[in-house]
Amino acid sequence: MRNSRIIGGLTLIFLLVLWQLAVTWGFLKPFQFPPPSRIGGAVVELATKGFPNNQHIWTHVGVTLWRIIQGYVLAITVAIPIGLLIGTVAVLDKLTLPIITFGRSVATLSLLPLVIIWFGTGELTKVLLIAYGCFWAMLSNVIAGVKYVDPVMIRAARTLDTGRLRMFVKVVVPATLPRMFVGARMALGVGFMVIVGAEMIGTIQGLGALIMEARTFYRSDITIVGMLFIGILGFSISTGLSWLETVLLPWNKGLEEVRR
Amino acid sequence: MMADTAASTGSSNPATAKIDVRGVSKRYATDDANTPPVLDDIDLTIGDNEFVTLVGRSGCGKTTLLNIIGGLVEPSHGDISVNGRLVTGPGEGKGMVFQQHALFPWLTALHNVGFGCRNNGVSAAESDRISRQLIELVGLQGFEDKYPTELSGGMQQRVAIARALATDPEILLMDEPFGALDELTRLEMQDELLRVWSAHKKTVVFVTHSISEALVLSDRIILLAARPGRIRREFIVPFPRPRQRTDPQMIALYDEIWRNLA
Ligand SMILES: Nc1ncnc2c1ncn2[C@@H]1O[C@H](COP(=O)(O)OP(=O)(O)OP(=O)(O)O)[C@@H](O)[C@H]1O
Ligand SMILES: [Mg+2]
Repeated sequence: MRNSRIIGGLTLIFLLVLWQLAVTWGFLKPFQFPPPSRIGGAVVELATKGFPNNQHIWTHVGVTLWRIIQGYVLAITVAIPIGLLIGTVAVLDKLTLPIITFGRSVATLSLLPLVIIWFGTGELTKVLLIAYGCFWAMLSNVIAGVKYVDPVMIRAARTLDTGRLRMFVKVVVPATLPRMFVGARMALGVGFMVIVGAEMIGTIQGLGALIMEARTFYRSDITIVGMLFIGILGFSISTGLSWLETVLLPWNKGLEEVRR
Repeated sequence: MMADTAASTGSSNPATAKIDVRGVSKRYATDDANTPPVLDDIDLTIGDNEFVTLVGRSGCGKTTLLNIIGGLVEPSHGDISVNGRLVTGPGEGKGMVFQQHALFPWLTALHNVGFGCRNNGVSAAESDRISRQLIELVGLQGFEDKYPTELSGGMQQRVAIARALATDPEILLMDEPFGALDELTRLEMQDELLRVWSAHKKTVVFVTHSISEALVLSDRIILLAARPGRIRREFIVPFPRPRQRTDPQMIALYDEIWRNLA
């Protein structure tokens, strides 16, 4: 375990050195593959002077984070009750299935022109695009969670004279929680996919905007920094979500251990 | 000598019928029409406070019959009544222990046991008190706050037994409840079950693969035959409890059941 981490670290360092040397020796063009030293320089530049127009890296991170949080929370709070309802009522499930399949299949960013016409190029548009992407991922998981509650649980509850309301609140909902967390994690991934595109328009703030602006100025080093920060951000939130899951669903821990 | 200990099919007809199974047949929807039914025209009357055990080879329909009595599975033909009233669903005084423990993984052992009490409007404090008692009865004190995944298979099974007992149902339907237990714990649980059964006047329908377990526990042993699932024979176990497995009469009856099973 510890050894494999050391080996992983060494491999990474080795690859970075190789990359640096490949550029120094002229095998790779610096504006196509900016070497690690240039990327390091770009991080420093972003942290001190800022780019573009003196936009500090923390401004970009903060703005992106805030947009994702708004869209994500909006999507999840809407998707959970709707998903619980659709999953519980079989007729609704049948009726909504085509809509959901369709909604999921529409690539979120293809909606961009329409959403701009409806809501302009401001914050609302970006938040709604993120929310749209997250919504379907969450919704389909909540529905599946409810539909595939272990029938053995329902049977056991029925032998204990569980009324309809308690069956829903005390059996169906808790049984659905692990699947909801799966949905929440998938939705987060979608949110990060959408954000770069959503920030392409009408803003110079945010990691997506940073990447687009860098393109205009042929600053591929800054593009890579933008990518790195999106990755770090996504990784951190995802880790936070896993932590939240172990806190909120302590009973699921044993299952996880078996799965590994 | 065996003639007075083994009665033939259908002869037993207790005066006070608790459970009445009348002409029950079962064919699952997935079965094709050529295969014989899982259960074929089963008639079975179980008296109040009687302890009846179903034995038979794997796949002969014991779980199916138990689920039908419990109101969880609908028979294709025939019907079940309890206390003279048709059974239309589970619950209502029919406690059940499943072959797979079926605990709620999101609840601790204590709250699993108390689930039925809470359904019936018992206060949280009272439900916890009852649950603690039952957890002690099944020998799991100290594990009240563990989640099912943190318990061994046998422990989970014991929590499931405690859960079925918590609402004090008049009928207990138990599907191989001691299957996952070691021999010693199994014997202890058999004693406890007999104690609960006699102290609380319950009617028990019990499924097991162990003939000696059936002999130690039951008033009557029903031997099921597979496909078509019929009652092959019933055996009355007339010996007073507690019973000794080494008792020559018990051994003789064991041999007789064994011969009929094969
Ligand atoms: N839900 C189901 N759908 C279709 N067939 C089923 C279903 N449940 C059981 N069966 C079939 O019915 C027959 C009897 O099954 P059942 O579970 O009642 O057996 P059993 O006597 O309890 O066996 P075991 O001792 O192995 O638990 C088997 O042939 C099985 O394949
Ligand atoms: Mg079975």
